[in-house]
Amino acid sequence: MAEAVIGELRRAEGGGWMSVEEVERELARLRMGEDGQLGLRASVLNLVAVTGEETAPQVAEAVSRLAGEHPSRTVLLISDPEGPERMDVRLSAFCTPRGGGTQVCAEQITIHAEGPPARHLESIAGPLLIPDLPVFLFYTGSFSPGSPEFVPLARLADRLILDSSSWGGCGRAFAAAVGVLSREDLPPAGDLQWATLTPWRALISEMFAAPQLAGELAGIGEVEIHHAPDGECRALLLAGWLASSLGWRLEAASGPPPARELRFSGPPGEVRLRMQPATPAARLARVILRSADCEFCVSRSLEHPEARATVSRGGEVVGESVAYIGRFDMSAMLAEELRCRGRDEAYERALRAAAEVVA
Amino acid sequence: MSVREDLRDALADERRVPRPPEPAAMVIFGASGDLTARKLVPALYDLAAARRLPMGFAVVGVSRTKMSHEQFRERLRGSLERHRPQNFSEEVWESFSRSLFYLPGDSRLPETYEELRDFLKRLDAERGTGGNRIFYLASSPSLFAPTVGRLGEAGLSREEDGSYVRLVVEKPFGRDLESARRLNADLLRHFREDQIYRIDHYLGKETVQNILALRFANGIFEPVWNQHYVDHVQITVAEDIGIEGRGAFYEEAGALRDIVQNHMMQLLCLTAMEPPVAFDAEPVRDEKVKVLSAVRPLPEERVEEVAVRGQYGRGWIWGEEVAGYREEEGVSPDSTTETYAALKLYIDNWRWAGVPFYVRTGKRLPKKVTEIAIRFKPTPHTPFARAAGAEPNVLVIRIQPEEGISLKIGAKIPGAGFEVGSVNMDLLYGTAFLEEVPEAYQRLLLDLMLGDATLFIRADEAEAAWSILDPVLRAWSEARDVPAYPAGSWGPEEAEELLRRDGRRWRRP
Repeated sequence: MAEAVIGELRRAEGGGWMSVEEVERELARLRMGEDGQLGLRASVLNLVAVTGEETAPQVAEAVSRLAGEHPSRTVLLISDPEGPERMDVRLSAFCTPRGGGTQVCAEQITIHAEGPPARHLESIAGPLLIPDLPVFLFYTGSFSPGSPEFVPLARLADRLILDSSSWGGCGRAFAAAVGVLSREDLPPAGDLQWATLTPWRALISEMFAAPQLAGELAGIGEVEIHHAPDGECRALLLAGWLASSLGWRLEAASGPPPARELRFSGPPGEVRLRMQPATPAARLARVILRSADCEFCVSRSLEHPEARATVSRGGEVVGESVAYIGRFDMSAMLAEELRCRGRDEAYERALRAAAEVVA
Repeated sequence: MSVREDLRDALADERRVPRPPEPAAMVIFGASGDLTARKLVPALYDLAAARRLPMGFAVVGVSRTKMSHEQFRERLRGSLERHRPQNFSEEVWESFSRSLFYLPGDSRLPETYEELRDFLKRLDAERGTGGNRIFYLASSPSLFAPTVGRLGEAGLSREEDGSYVRLVVEKPFGRDLESARRLNADLLRHFREDQIYRIDHYLGKETVQNILALRFANGIFEPVWNQHYVDHVQITVAEDIGIEGRGAFYEEAGALRDIVQNHMMQLLCLTAMEPPVAFDAEPVRDEKVKVLSAVRPLPEERVEEVAVRGQYGRGWIWGEEVAGYREEEGVSPDSTTETYAALKLYIDNWRWAGVPFYVRTGKRLPKKVTEIAIRFKPTPHTPFARAAGAEPNVLVIRIQPEEGISLKIGAKIPGAGFEVGSVNMDLLYGTAFLEEVPEAYQRLLLDLMLGDATLFIRADEAEAAWSILDPVLRAWSEARDVPAYPAGSWGPEEAEELLRRDGRRWRRP
């Protein structure tokens, strides 16, 4: 995945409370270059990111790096409902030179909301959204899908993005995501951990593209997923994707997490899936699928941006490919997730299957 | 659909994980040439790196040059590293290069095909290429017919056991109507039309496809896209470069064959066509052929009224003095080959009756630009006394260099009174969608492997384009003089006159 283009960072001086009109006026001023030329505002979406003080620097860095790939208006809400009442607004623009001497700017509005304002974030984000463009809500911490703080904010959005790895337990995160999906008044959801699986799913799918190997899918009896301890949520989603795609039904789950041994009944019979927390070579290091005759393996290490897929029959490699898989930091995961509009049915099926495993 | 296909499709997820093409072997004839090293193999490499190539895939290069597999790979590696040093990954190359093979052989001799058939069978067994074949004609056009004939004789055009065989033909598709018809007949003797993929890389460009998106994904343009509202259309494909050392080639081609017959006719079709019922091969190509069939024939005896050619002389471009065409290497000192061509075309159908389409292309023009300008009719009446500065609306679809659209509108000039002036509203697509745009060949090769012929030229389409231009070719082949224009200008005076006669003038792009 290409490094995002940030361009020139321009910050408005000062901060503190500002009215919506002042915010808009100041943003327009920021787009003006030193030569007095007004930079174009390019926006394909609104991104509302909600985070706490501790994770704010990481989230701020991630969303600012998106400016080069997904020009948007970003409203970064740093929320502390327990603090004394305060609202502090900071503005910045990321301007990238384009052809013909023009500049294109993406805008970021960072708001610290403490005390009562932090419990009504929808009242802050709502007036700042650019009309007629989709709204993505990136909620970095945990939330309760029915809470009065969360629901009005989520209703502003066309799509909710969560990060199940930040909940301190995949089970809680998956349950909350399933809770969101089951409410008709809330937008469809996605998960950064799911976004990282796109190249893995493509490589696994590609191994069975050859007609002579497609038949092996029906005979998969063993699966191993090697992951780092902090990669458990994405490993579970991958297991959920395999199970929901191939029609495997969960029969039993054993082993203390994060090492798990799952038993499914599939169309061909029993499928055993082992999740192996390994040394942190990569959050997801290796996936192996075995049929009676063949072994299908996708692996990567943290040092390389490529992944290797191999198909072996009787211990002999009969097919191999290497493809660019990229490195998934928060910005890259978010960029991948922002490509998705509307419901992601594959994710929803995988999520429900994964949630069943950790229930 | 079988259970195994069901399961395989279950893993695909069109939203994020599109289904990969089926395994295949691609045989490239003329593999020692420039196209293979500069375009085809880099595009395949990019597809491999982006996880879009099937695992069972192989390229077999065929040409007369003696080379081993390893030498072939080294040559291609060198080209890749030279042309895209930032995007080269040793790991991807190591795996991808194992799928590259080379067979030295004369494509006119039957023994080459016997050897090729055995080699492909071996690849099916060893590389899992599944019996699917793509034969890519990247050789000299004079070898197209003999190669296809030999493929047919060797039984290599036959599809067996559910596998596919596809044939890719690079432009030029003939050099006039008669030779195009002959070539099509030669191809169809051994391949069905749905096996043939005529490639014009222009159609693989995102920017060209965006014309269709602009027209058919936006409701506001279609109601005014007709003779009621459009005064005329100008299509410009301008290059600032000369012939880049390809004198011998260009002497045979000229601007009409090199650009107008293919690229410009495609732009004309995409601008003028009716909405296809679906973005699929047959509906899209049917609509394009309808446009070409509706173009009013250009009578040979009146070509000079509707067509202008020119040839660049010495001049200045971007502060540098450049040589005239006749001074270029490989060009005859008394050459009459045109480096500039402009035509006035009418599309005689309900939508476009009476609307002229002015098309022009040339080398050594002031700058590189490709655009389609739709000039609308003026307002029937203006209530403003001082509206002289306001001109009719112009919608410009800019294809390169900075892709985007620009709409010229009339606006009130601030201040007392009511003075109206023209303002350009610009949208650069690149400022909104910053994703890396795939190379044209990357898109087209993937479509080819997936069996999607939407962006390829059908036989009747190629012939219809030649039908329009044949009278011009004949008239120009008999004329001894070709108007000159200085390099760095917008073409010969005669081209200006072509529009002046209609009370119009060319845009300055």
